Amino acid sequence: MVAAKEIYRIISSMKTGLCLLVLIGLVSAVGSMVFPGGFFNTFVFKLLLLLLLLNMMLCTINRVVFFKKSNFFKRKIGKGLIRQIGVLLLHSGIVLILIGGVVYSFYGQSEQIEILSGETTNLAYAMVMDKPISLKLNDFKIETNHDGTPSQYYSDLSVIEGGKTQRKQVISVNHPLKYKHIKAYQDSYGYAVRSRAVTNTDNGQEQLLYEGESLTIPGSKRTVKIYRYFPDFDPTKGMAQNSMKQGDARVVYSVYENKKLLGVGAAKFGSKIEIDDHKYVVFDGVEPFTVLKVKSDPGLIFVLIGSLMFMLGVSMALIYMPARKKQNQLQQNTAVV
Amino acid sequence: MAIFIQIIVYASLILYIAASVLYFAGYRSEKNGMLKAASAIAIVGCIINFLALIIRTILSGRLPLSSGYEFILSFAFLTSLLYLIFEWKNKAKNAGGIVMIIAALLILAVIIIAGGQLDEVSPLMPALKSPWLTVHVLTAALAYASFALAAGLAIIQIRKIKQGNTAQDSKIYRVVAIGFMLLSFSIILGAIWAEQAWGAYWTWDPKEVWALVTWIIYAIYLHLHRRKTWRGARACWMVIAGFIIVLFTFFGVNFLFSGMHSYADSIDPLFHMNEQFL
Repeated sequence: MVAAKEIYRIISSMKTGLCLLVLIGLVSAVGSMVFPGGFFNTFVFKLLLLLLLLNMMLCTINRVVFFKKSNFFKRKIGKGLIRQIGVLLLHSGIVLILIGGVVYSFYGQSEQIEILSGETTNLAYAMVMDKPISLKLNDFKIETNHDGTPSQYYSDLSVIEGGKTQRKQVISVNHPLKYKHIKAYQDSYGYAVRSRAVTNTDNGQEQLLYEGESLTIPGSKRTVKIYRYFPDFDPTKGMAQNSMKQGDARVVYSVYENKKLLGVGAAKFGSKIEIDDHKYVVFDGVEPFTVLKVKSDPGLIFVLIGSLMFMLGVSMALIYMPARKKQNQLQQNTAVV
Repeated sequence: MAIFIQIIVYASLILYIAASVLYFAGYRSEKNGMLKAASAIAIVGCIINFLALIIRTILSGRLPLSSGYEFILSFAFLTSLLYLIFEWKNKAKNAGGIVMIIAALLILAVIIIAGGQLDEVSPLMPALKSPWLTVHVLTAALAYASFALAAGLAIIQIRKIKQGNTAQDSKIYRVVAIGFMLLSFSIILGAIWAEQAWGAYWTWDPKEVWALVTWIIYAIYLHLHRRKTWRGARACWMVIAGFIIVLFTFFGVNFLFSGMHSYADSIDPLFHMNEQFL
C-alpha cells in the first residue's frame, strides 16, 4: 500500500512530468535529425507521449482535489483565482489534446486517393466505413499566376452515398470538404499520359500511364518510363519547372534497358520517338487526376476543445501574473501539491 | 523603389548598431546623456524599420509576414519595439546594447538573404492563402521578439548576479511568460491552420518539432522558476539557451531541413514530385 502510494506519487509528480518533457524534447530533436520521417511513429516515442498524458492527467486531478479540499474555488474572484483556474484549464487542455491524439492513433484514418477526371472512387476501398461513400471528380483545374506558378488547385467533387449524389462541392487548398465524419483535402495532383507503342505498320493500343509507370515496347528489351508531364516546358530549367500555364506541353520520359538508364527526353504530343530499331512511342495526350487526402478523425473534437482550453488557460495564467510577494505566498499555500 | 527600400533597410541596420554602441558606452561610463541619445537613435531605428515593413506591405498588398526575410524584418522591428516599451515602462536601459545588437544582426540577415530582392513580390502559394497566415506568423514573430528581449535581459542579469543582485529576475520571468503565451498561440493557431490546409494538425515536421522543443524549454523554465534554487544564473542560462533554440528553429530549420515549412524555394511543398524516377 505504501509502495503503491509512492508509485502514484512518482507518476503524478510535476518533476516526472518535467523530466518527460525534457526527454520528449531531446528525443524528438535528435530523432528529427537522425531519422527523418517515420521516427515519431515508433513505439518508444508513443510510449513517452502516453506517459506524459498519464502524468499530466493525474497531476491535474491532484490539483483539483487539493483545491476542492482547501475550498480554493470559494474564494473571492481575484487575480490569484483566475490564475489558478487558468493553470488548471491549460493543463486539462493539453491532456485533452493528447487524448485526441490517442483516439486518432486507434480510430483515425487518413488515406491518399487518386481520382481521374470524370471517374468515381469508392472510399470504402481505402478506409473502413459503415456505409460506403463515393467521390466523383467532375473536373480538376489549376489556376495560375501571371508568372505561371500555381495559384490554386480546384477539384469539383460529388459525394455519392446510397447511389445518390448527396453534395457537390469544389474544394481547393485550405478549403476541404466535410461530409459526415469524412473530410477530403486537396493534397496533390498529377497527369496520366495516353501512350502507344507503335511500329511502321502497327498503330498500337492506347494505354493510360501514370507518372512513374512504364511502357513495354513489344519485341524490344527497352522500356519507356513516364517521368512527368509539363504543361509549359522550359528546356533551360531542367526538372525545376514551375510553370503550370498551358504552353509548350511536353512529356518527360526516360528509356531503360535491363534497368539501365539509356536516356531522357521531352516529347511533344503526337510525335513518334524512336526507342529501338523501328520501334516508336507516341504520347497522345494527358488526363488530369486529383490527389485527395481523405481523413476521418474522431479525436479531432478533443484536440479542438483542448486547444481552446489551452489557449484560454495560458492567457488567464500568464496575463494575471500576481506580484512577486503574493506569488510567494501562493506557492507556500500550494507547496503540498 | 528597389534602391529606396534598400537604403531604408541599411539605415535601420546602421541606426541599430549606433544605438547599441551608445547604450554600451553610456552604460560603461554611466553617462546619462549618452544613454538618452542611444534611446533616441533606437526609436528612430525602430521607426525606419517599421517604414521598411510599410513599404513591403504597399508593394505586396499583404502584411509582411509571408516570406522568410519579411518575417525577419518584422521580428527585428518587434524586438526593438518591445525593448523600447520595456525601457519606457521600467526606466531601465541596461539591456539596450544587447537587444539592439540582436535587432541589428536580424537586419543583417535580411540583407544577406534578400539584399537585392527587397522590392520583389512573388505570388503566394496555395497553402499560404489563408487568413490563418497572419495570426499564426504574427504571434510567432511577437513570441520570438519577446524571447529576444528576455535573452538580452538575461545576459545582463548574469553579470549582475555575480554582484548579488537578482532584482530583474521577475521582469525576465514576465517577458518569458508573455513570449510563452504567444508561442503557445502560434503553435495552436498553426495546428488549426495545418488541419485545414494539409489535413493534419501535427505532422512532426522539423519546424513543428523545433517549435515544440522551444516551447518545452520555456515551459520548464516557467515551472522551475517557482523554486528558489532555479532563480538566478541557472534560470538566465535557460532563457539564453531558449533563444538560441528559437534562432535555430527559424534559421536552422528553414535552411537545413526540408519540410512542410520550407518556403525558401519556389517549389510548392504541397505538390512536390518524386525525383526518384530520373
